[in-house]
Amino acid sequence: MRLNECDPGFKHEVAAEPGGAGIRACFACAACSARCPVGANRPDYDPRRLIRLTLLGRREEVLASPLIWLCSSCYTCGEVCPQQVRFTEVLTAIKNIASREGHAPPSAKITAELLAKQGRLLEVTDFENDKRADLGLPPVEQRPQDFQAILGLKPSEGEAGEEPR
Amino acid sequence: MTNAQLDTPVLILGGGVAGLAAAVDLARRGVAATIIEREPRLGGRASQFCCKATEACARCGACRLGELMAQAAHLPQITIYTAALAVAAQPRGDGWQVELAPQPNGEIGPGPGRPLSERATLNAQAVILAVGGEAFNPAGKTRFGHGRVEGVFSALELEAMLAQGALGPKAMAPAKVAFIQCVGSRDASLGRLWCSRVCCGYALRMGRVIRGLLPESEVTFFHMDVQDYGRAWEEELPELRKQMRFVRAMPGEVTAGDGGPEVTYALAGEQAIKEGFDLVVLSVGLGPPNGASALGELFGAAKDSDGFLTADGGPAGVFVAGAAAGPRSLNESIVHGGLAASQAASRVASLSEARHG
Ligand SMILES: Cc1cc2nc3c(=O)[nH]c(=O)nc-3n(C[C@H](O)[C@H](O)[C@H](O)COP(=O)(O)OP(=O)(O)OC[C@H]3O[C@@H](n4cnc5c(N)ncnc54)[C@H](O)[C@@H]3O)c2cc1C
Ligand code: SF4
Ligand code: SF4
Ligand code: SF4
Ligand code: SF4
Repeated sequence: MRLNECDPGFKHEVAAEPGGAGIRACFACAACSARCPVGANRPDYDPRRLIRLTLLGRREEVLASPLIWLCSSCYTCGEVCPQQVRFTEVLTAIKNIASREGHAPPSAKITAELLAKQGRLLEVTDFENDKRADLGLPPVEQRPQDFQAILGLKPSEGEAGEEPR
Repeated sequence: MTNAQLDTPVLILGGGVAGLAAAVDLARRGVAATIIEREPRLGGRASQFCCKATEACARCGACRLGELMAQAAHLPQITIYTAALAVAAQPRGDGWQVELAPQPNGEIGPGPGRPLSERATLNAQAVILAVGGEAFNPAGKTRFGHGRVEGVFSALELEAMLAQGALGPKAMAPAKVAFIQCVGSRDASLGRLWCSRVCCGYALRMGRVIRGLLPESEVTFFHMDVQDYGRAWEEELPELRKQMRFVRAMPGEVTAGDGGPEVTYALAGEQAIKEGFDLVVLSVGLGPPNGASALGELFGAAKDSDGFLTADGGPAGVFVAGAAAGPRSLNESIVHGGLAASQAASRVASLSEARHG
């Protein structure tokens, strides 16, 4: 590794992003790596390694890595971390930077589109609401407007919005 | 009925190494002192420790307790009451008036001192709080399995097992032993941010003792980094690295396996693995004394940001010595006891000068 290929500002960039500040406290103790369920199935996915690469300033390598999109957001790493790094959120910060630079994988775009359309990842159908009615629960509605506002999109009038009502 | 009157220039609460060292130091300066020990026996934590010498002395400090007890027993300036507790205290004149109550609990141990038999009142010009610290209860770190997974022990339990000869070729003979460091220390999730400073040293010394008792055994030391543990530790490390396996990783959990506890951990660049051991030892840290707040309130001593007692004499003449003031080794606690003694002695001397001068 060449030091002049490292970006010493990258860790500060990540720490300044919402959720990213926890990276400052990492001990590199690997408790997260020991328990991460994704790592248990993908030998190359290792939370400690991603943190070290970030701290070392391997900016392009981290942002362009397909690995950062594999996290299942299960928060196990946060539960075992002695330093309250909240790696799940640090990784969200990294992914946000990566997205802005065009590294988001197609699956992330599909997810965003689903959110924009439905206001939730799983579409609400009659199946769910019939079940809820059987149990005496009120129906759930899809409210895509909120997400559309966040994403800067025009509200899609009359689409999935009112239907279940 | 009026209380027995036990006045003394310096009152020392706690008869561990710090309190004993303070009393011996005061006696050498010609100042009398009274030690009040809550338990039926003197010695504090060190009384549970065994000698860690293998080929040579391991400088664990445990035998300093015996020396201090012997000295304290022979110095006429020192009075010791065991099984006694300070239940009330108030500033009085240029010192403190303290109410003592007997604590009839358990068998009276050997060593100097006698149990307090009745309630008593004691006036002192200076007070040294040498009540020690609390060892972390490893049940508070549930994922390491203490109390749930067979074969998982705290380092304090291992100390007792070694002292009783429970480990050895003719007794329990584990083939694989793991030490997990920093249990209850350096852990923001527990709000315990400090390094306990003694556990790297005691774990490595106990690991070496186990290797000496059971040369076939394999000892693994799971750590984040190694805290220095006294003189020449850096020169000793290469030799220790040959005797034990140093793994720089904090395990994720300890679970019950078929043949004993299993430790899940990840090495750099490798996938997490589960490894079986016969014995897993949790190197518990040292924290503030139980009841630090109550004691602090009783004597107007403050607590630092970690909860340890702080007091530097001040107008009230209250001092703190040993592990009650922060994590300290036996040797450091002895030195700290000496420091508190010299400060208390100056106070007693200047008070008596002011009175007579
Ligand atoms: C598992 C473990 C292993 C360790 N191994 C080592 C080692 O190998 N080498 C080393 O140098 N250090 C070791 N230490 C640290 C060592 O235990 C401390 O440095 C030492 O005990 C501190 O001495 P002390 O006198 O301050 O406190 P203590 O030894 O704790 O003594 C305090 C005394 O005060 C008494 N007391 C408490 N409250 C009151 C009260 N309100 N009134 C009256 N009396 C009271 C207690 O009963 C006790 O007798 C170890 C610690 C742990 C937890
Ligand atoms: S568990 Fe926490 S401190 Fe340890 S390596 Fe992971 S993020 Fe860093
Ligand atoms: S939140 Fe992500 S990185 Fe953390 S343990 Fe779960 S999958 Fe692994
Ligand atoms: S310092 Fe420890 S190892 Fe050395 S002789 Fe004393 S008790 Fe034994
Ligand atoms: S002395 Fe070692 S084991 Fe104990 S808290 Fe410090 S680093 Fe951790």
